[in-house]
Amino acid sequence: MRWFYKVPLRVTSLFRKRRVEQELSDELRFHLEKQIEEYLAQGMSCEEAVYAGLRTIGGLEQIKEECRDMRRVNVIENLVQDLRYGVRMLARSPGLTATVVLSLALGIGANTAIFSLINAVLLKTLPVQNPQELALLQWSSHGWPDGVIGNVAGDMGQDKAGRMTSPSFAYALYEEIRGQGDVFSSMLALAGNGSDVNLGYQGTPGRADGELVSGTFFSTLGVEPRLGRAITTDDDRFAASPVAVISYGYWERRFGRDAGVVGRKITVNAVPFTIVGVSSPEFYGVQPGRAVDVWLPLHTQPLVEPSWSRQGWNGSGAPPVDALFATRGDWWVVIMGRLKPGVTFQPARPELEVLLQQAMARDIKSSTKPETIPHLDISAASKGLNDLRDQFSKPLFILMAVVGLVLLIACANVANMLLARASTRQREIAVRLAIGAGRPRLIRQLLTESVLLAVVGGLIGLLFAFWGTHVLMAFMSSGRDPVVLSVTPDPRVLGFTAAVSVLTGILFGLSPALRATRVDLTPSLKESGPRLPGPAQAHGGMRMGLGKTLVIVQVALSLVLLVGAGLFVRTLTNLEEVNPGFDPHNLLLFGIDPTQDGHKGQRLVSFYQELTRQIAALPGVRSVSVSANTLVGGGRNAVMTHILGYTPKPAENDKGVFAAIDTVGPGFLETMHLPLVLGRGISEGDTEASPKVAVVNETFARNYLSDGNPIGRQFSPGDPKASPIEVVGVVRDAKFFDLREEIPPTIYLPYLQTLTGEHDAVLGALGAMHFEVRTASDPTAMASAVRHIAQDMDPNLALYDVRTQTDQINQTLFQERLFARLTSFFGILAVLLGCVGVYGLMAFATTGRTREIGIRMALGASRREILGLILHEVFVLLAIGIAVGIAVALEASRVVSTLLYGLKPTDPATLAVAALLMLSVAAVAGYIPARRAAKVDPMVALRYE
Amino acid sequence: MGKPTDLVQGTLDLLILKTIALEPMHGWGIALRIRQVSKEVLQVNQGALYPALHRLEQSGWIRAKWGESDNNRRAKYYSLTPAGRKYLEQEETNWKRLSTAIGLVLETF
Repeated sequence: MRWFYKVPLRVTSLFRKRRVEQELSDELRFHLEKQIEEYLAQGMSCEEAVYAGLRTIGGLEQIKEECRDMRRVNVIENLVQDLRYGVRMLARSPGLTATVVLSLALGIGANTAIFSLINAVLLKTLPVQNPQELALLQWSSHGWPDGVIGNVAGDMGQDKAGRMTSPSFAYALYEEIRGQGDVFSSMLALAGNGSDVNLGYQGTPGRADGELVSGTFFSTLGVEPRLGRAITTDDDRFAASPVAVISYGYWERRFGRDAGVVGRKITVNAVPFTIVGVSSPEFYGVQPGRAVDVWLPLHTQPLVEPSWSRQGWNGSGAPPVDALFATRGDWWVVIMGRLKPGVTFQPARPELEVLLQQAMARDIKSSTKPETIPHLDISAASKGLNDLRDQFSKPLFILMAVVGLVLLIACANVANMLLARASTRQREIAVRLAIGAGRPRLIRQLLTESVLLAVVGGLIGLLFAFWGTHVLMAFMSSGRDPVVLSVTPDPRVLGFTAAVSVLTGILFGLSPALRATRVDLTPSLKESGPRLPGPAQAHGGMRMGLGKTLVIVQVALSLVLLVGAGLFVRTLTNLEEVNPGFDPHNLLLFGIDPTQDGHKGQRLVSFYQELTRQIAALPGVRSVSVSANTLVGGGRNAVMTHILGYTPKPAENDKGVFAAIDTVGPGFLETMHLPLVLGRGISEGDTEASPKVAVVNETFARNYLSDGNPIGRQFSPGDPKASPIEVVGVVRDAKFFDLREEIPPTIYLPYLQTLTGEHDAVLGALGAMHFEVRTASDPTAMASAVRHIAQDMDPNLALYDVRTQTDQINQTLFQERLFARLTSFFGILAVLLGCVGVYGLMAFATTGRTREIGIRMALGASRREILGLILHEVFVLLAIGIAVGIAVALEASRVVSTLLYGLKPTDPATLAVAALLMLSVAAVAGYIPARRAAKVDPMVALRYE
Repeated sequence: MGKPTDLVQGTLDLLILKTIALEPMHGWGIALRIRQVSKEVLQVNQGALYPALHRLEQSGWIRAKWGESDNNRRAKYYSLTPAGRKYLEQEETNWKRLSTAIGLVLETF
């Protein structure tokens, strides 16, 4: 219990020095007064008493000092002392200090910036109550569960075991599971597909990211709205009047933080809704990276997305409004649950699995293969849905490794500088050791200095990181799917930076400190001044050995980063040079969804036709077309296609083959400059009434229609019983989804023929379309004219995805561009830091050899020979560094092979260019001090001491 | 307390601890009491008293508190902490054993 008394005392002695001093004086004065009183009582005169008292007590200051000594027994005071001394020492060489701090700040800043992203993407939990209790349901199966599942909307992927996995379930299953079991205290459902909606307010349309959520969404998450109320189970019924909760960010952007917004009317896809609440600022939904603007009750789905509702309807006639809620084959809701207190994930899974199997029992047909029956998985959902984590975890870890290496290089530099300085301080250290300073005490002193450097570097690094994360975030939101994240520094990030700074300080400071204090006192003390040790001296030699090793490591690591940068830059240029198969220049794209304002069926077609006609009439427009998906735009619709007269290969599914499919308007192929190879394109005449036709690409024809003439062959997408479609033309191959993929077999269907509704199950009903406008000159100049025409036709509709085709392609290269830029930046930074290292080492080494050089010159060596002598040493170092670097790069680049395009990770050209670049830049860095050494006047050099 | 304590210093510590064991006292009071109780034999040097008090305080054996002395003057009063009380008992036993041993040696010869 003694600490109970000791700790406050230490704290007071440290931080309230003045008070402690004051108390000490008071205490001693009291004693003195008492002494004087006693002498007075003995009958002394006043003067005598004071004099005698002072004499008795002895030197007041001496006592005080002794008392202070008694207090000065703690580590902290030593630390403060060390810090003061450190600051003085660092201030004495401001140039060196600035260089060290700057290189550390760059290294630590880069690490903090990337770590902030890792934190935001991979580590942060959802801003909800007790996020660790949240669980996400998922299913997995070996192969498509025929009969059980018709369509999956939302995420779908493959796990490591090759099983199909998805978090989307049928709504009916959600209802059935929800009613039973005692694993969850409550459950929520949301539509697996986010929906872009047209949110009209006071007659102005606007795009918003909408999310359809069950009435239990907010209560299960335990999220309170900032204003108004949340969506409740009463709102989430077909009969309820439609309500909406808007996000804080949207409230700011669209409503200017108007406090009276609750109760106002808005329209969502032309359906009136009432705003009942505004979410709290930190709540963004359950999907990190996505910023939901408006939450709507799940049961408003048929109102908001009437065309999608029909998708699952396989019966005849008009589908009922609740089609998606009643059908069991449409799996479209994501289910999350909050575990009851005390329930863990392990025992929860089998219980839920039983519930799922019971609920699915009546969907399983005799034709359903047993291995394809979905099984339930449950995973922690404390961090929300994991799309963003899946997408970015690998790139982020690679970037983290890159910045880690940059920091290592910076550390090596700092260690080298400290080593160099330590040897100039050798005399000081020797003196201190000689007069009795302990070696641990000195090491601590030197370490304090290096940690101080690192901490200052870390603080400046935080500023760099702050700026860097903003640049990174701006970049992240420029992709095809903008990523919106909160990267404000939180305790975890700050802790990371603090830990990195201190560890860095110890890492680069320890070895110089150990070496510096291991001095042989006698020769050091004999030196007249701070002399630099020549290479012949044993300790100097050892120190040079460490310095050289550090420089070799630096060169090697810089080269690794340079090779990485080269690989990513070449990947980007390779992709940029990919011929997409169509002409992306002078092409303006935009999307419009007239169904959001109630246009349907023939009226919808007329709308598209009229809009096409009016845009085509604009001066400067060459041609106009429409399509469901734009090319290289990220929209992919792949369907199982049954081709008449085609025998599937052993590896293929006997039901048919997968083909990419797009529904397009007349003139699409011409507008995109997709040349016909055979037959005809899609024309005005291909309507609902005419025979069903399609144009396929060369890959489709080559793979599936290679025996005989492809023209006239028939196939049916989706349901093999549907009436077949005839191939009337073959068009040249073009990229469909992105530039990396192999061109898929592709089918282009006339969009007018989708009006029959026969293929709605696979294609979806006719709804939103994209326009392609081929212009004579700059397509962006046409955007406002196009917008005007659309507004004139229907002021309630908003255009979206307005961009040029080249911009759209560039957006798909967002990750590659990010990598190319970041790795180049860090690569160049690494090379520069490495060069500083080479320069520093050579400058130090040549200064130490000034005398030797003078002697050589006096004995007749030419400047050229001296230069050669020193450069030889530089080149030996560089050669070793580069050799090591290439070996490491060959090994390390394998990790990134999946991110590359058009070249192997061992690409010899990239390696050669990187090595050459490294060699030449570092050679220059080594040449400067070498030349200076060779220029020295032999007389000066000989006298040099 | 494994290591042997310096006799003089240890003695002063022991005297201080024993003196304030009954009631909190200020430095002057401690010096005075030691002088009176020892019948003027033991004169505590102020130069040694205050550093000793501060050291004992830093070690957590005693604690200090400002209080009022006679004539309303502020003085620093020292008292034992529970740990200090145990330490005092221990030191007292040590001292008795030591002085008995020394006495034995002196009587024998």
